[in-house]
Amino acid sequence: MRIVSTVAVSVLAFLCVSCAKRSQTDAVDPNVTTRGSIEVTAELAEIRGDLIDDPMYDYAHVMKYEVLQVHRGTVDKDVIYVGHYNPAEPRSSVADARVQEIGGNVKQFRVGDVHRMALEVPIDDYYMGGIINKYFGEVNDPIYWAVWTDKAAK
Amino acid sequence: MDRRMLSFLVLTIGMISAPAGLRAQEDRVAQLAKEVGDRGWIVFAARAENETWDLFLMRPDGSDRRNVTNTPDYEEGGPRFSPDGKRLLYRRFAKGTVISHDLWGFQGDLMIADADGSNPIQIGGDREFPWASWSPDGKQIACLTPRGIQIVDLATREVVRDLPRKGIYQQLFWSPDGRWFCGVANARILWTVVRMDAETGDLNIVHEFQSCTPDWFPDSKHIIFPSRPAGQDGYGFTQLWMSDGEGKEARMIYGEDGYHIYGGALSPDGEYVLFTRCAKDGGGSEDSGAPICVMRMAEAPAIGGPSEALRKVHPEAKDAAVLQLVAGWEPCWTYAEIGDRK
Repeated sequence: MRIVSTVAVSVLAFLCVSCAKRSQTDAVDPNVTTRGSIEVTAELAEIRGDLIDDPMYDYAHVMKYEVLQVHRGTVDKDVIYVGHYNPAEPRSSVADARVQEIGGNVKQFRVGDVHRMALEVPIDDYYMGGIINKYFGEVNDPIYWAVWTDKAAK
Repeated sequence: MDRRMLSFLVLTIGMISAPAGLRAQEDRVAQLAKEVGDRGWIVFAARAENETWDLFLMRPDGSDRRNVTNTPDYEEGGPRFSPDGKRLLYRRFAKGTVISHDLWGFQGDLMIADADGSNPIQIGGDREFPWASWSPDGKQIACLTPRGIQIVDLATREVVRDLPRKGIYQQLFWSPDGRWFCGVANARILWTVVRMDAETGDLNIVHEFQSCTPDWFPDSKHIIFPSRPAGQDGYGFTQLWMSDGEGKEARMIYGEDGYHIYGGALSPDGEYVLFTRCAKDGGGSEDSGAPICVMRMAEAPAIGGPSEALRKVHPEAKDAAVLQLVAGWEPCWTYAEIGDRK
C-alpha cells in the first residue's frame, strides 16, 4: 500500500511539474496577440544578404517565412516576406526614436527558427525608412511589417 | 647634376614655392569672401553659448553672425527660407534631444517665423507635418508621411491634396517651379535619390546607391546631393554630387578624402554652393555640426586636401577656392533683405 501511495504521489508530482512547464511555454505574450492586425506563427526560411549592424543608419531587412499557422487576420499565402527593423538588434531593445511601437523576445534571427509575429501590411504604411529587400524584382507580394516578434515552438 | 645637389635644389624651390602657393590660395579665398560678402544671408543651425542648437544668420563671408532664436529651453534645426526669403521654416525639439541626421524631419514641432527669427509660430504638435517643405508661393507645404505626400494649406492647415509616396522615406523637397519633388527612396535599392512629378506622382531614379539629402538647383532641372560611391577603401567618404532631374548625367561637385560632405545647397542664382565638411559620417547633427563652406560652382568639380585616391578617380578635378566658415548644420541661402539689414 505504501508503494502504491508513493507511486501515486510521484505521478501526481510529475504531472504538476509537467503542467506548470507546459503552461509556461504556452503562455503567449499579449503584445503579440493584440498588436498589429495580423498574427502568425511562421518558420524563418531565408535571410538574403548580410544583416547590417551600423549605428549610424536604420534599416528594415526583408526575410522569407513559411507560414505554419494564422492566428488573426487573413494571410492567403504559405510563404510571406517580412521586414524586420534593425534585425542585428535584439527585439527587446530595438525600439527607438524612429520606430517606437516594436518589440519581442527574439535575440537573433536564424534560419529555421520559428517566430510568432504580430504583423501589419503593407510595410510602407507603417514604416518610413530604408528597406533592404533582396527579393526586389523577383517577388511582387506585399511586404509585411513585423510589429512584435517572439520565439515559438514548431 | 649631382644627386645631392638636385635634392637640395628641389627642396629649396619647394620651400620657396609652397608658401607662395599657400598665399595664392589664401588670396583666392579672400577674393571669394569679398565676392559673396554682400550677397544676402545664410541661415543655419549651430550650438549656441547656451549649449543648445539655435538658428543663426550670417553673411556668406561669415560676417555679421547673430543668434536669431536664442532659446535655451529648446533645440532648433533644419531651417529653410521661404522662396521670397521673408520667412523661415524649421523644426524645434525638446531640450536635450539628439538631432538625428536622418530623423530630424519628423522629430519635434514644425515652426514658422519671420526670416530674422521673430514671431515664431508652432504649426501642429510633436512629429506633425513631417519633412515639411515650402511650395513655390510659400502658401503651402508638402509633408512626407507614411501614408503619402500631403499638400497642406498653411492658412487653414488642411490637407488639400495627397499622393502616394512611392517609397520616398526622407528629405522631401519641392522644386522652385513647383513641378517636382525630390527625396530619398527605396527604389530598386535603398538610399536612392528620386524625382517625383508633383502632379502625376510619376517617379524616376536620379542616383542610386548611398545617396541622400537631395535639394534643388534654382533651375528646378538639377539636383544636388551627397553620395558615398562604391569602390573606395573601407567605409569611404561622402562626396557632393549633382545630376539632371532625369538622372542621365551625374557628376561630382566637391570631394575630399578624410571628410564627409553634406548640407549641399545652392545660392539663389546657382553661382555658389554651400556644404559642410565633417570628419564623421552624417554631417555632425548629433554633435556640433561641421564647418560650413562656400565654393564657386564654376570651379566644380573640385577636390580638397591631398585626396590621392580621389584624384585618381577624378583627374579633371580642380583645386577650388573654398571659404570655410563656422561650424553649423543644414545651411540655406537667400538673397533677400532681412529686416533693416541688406
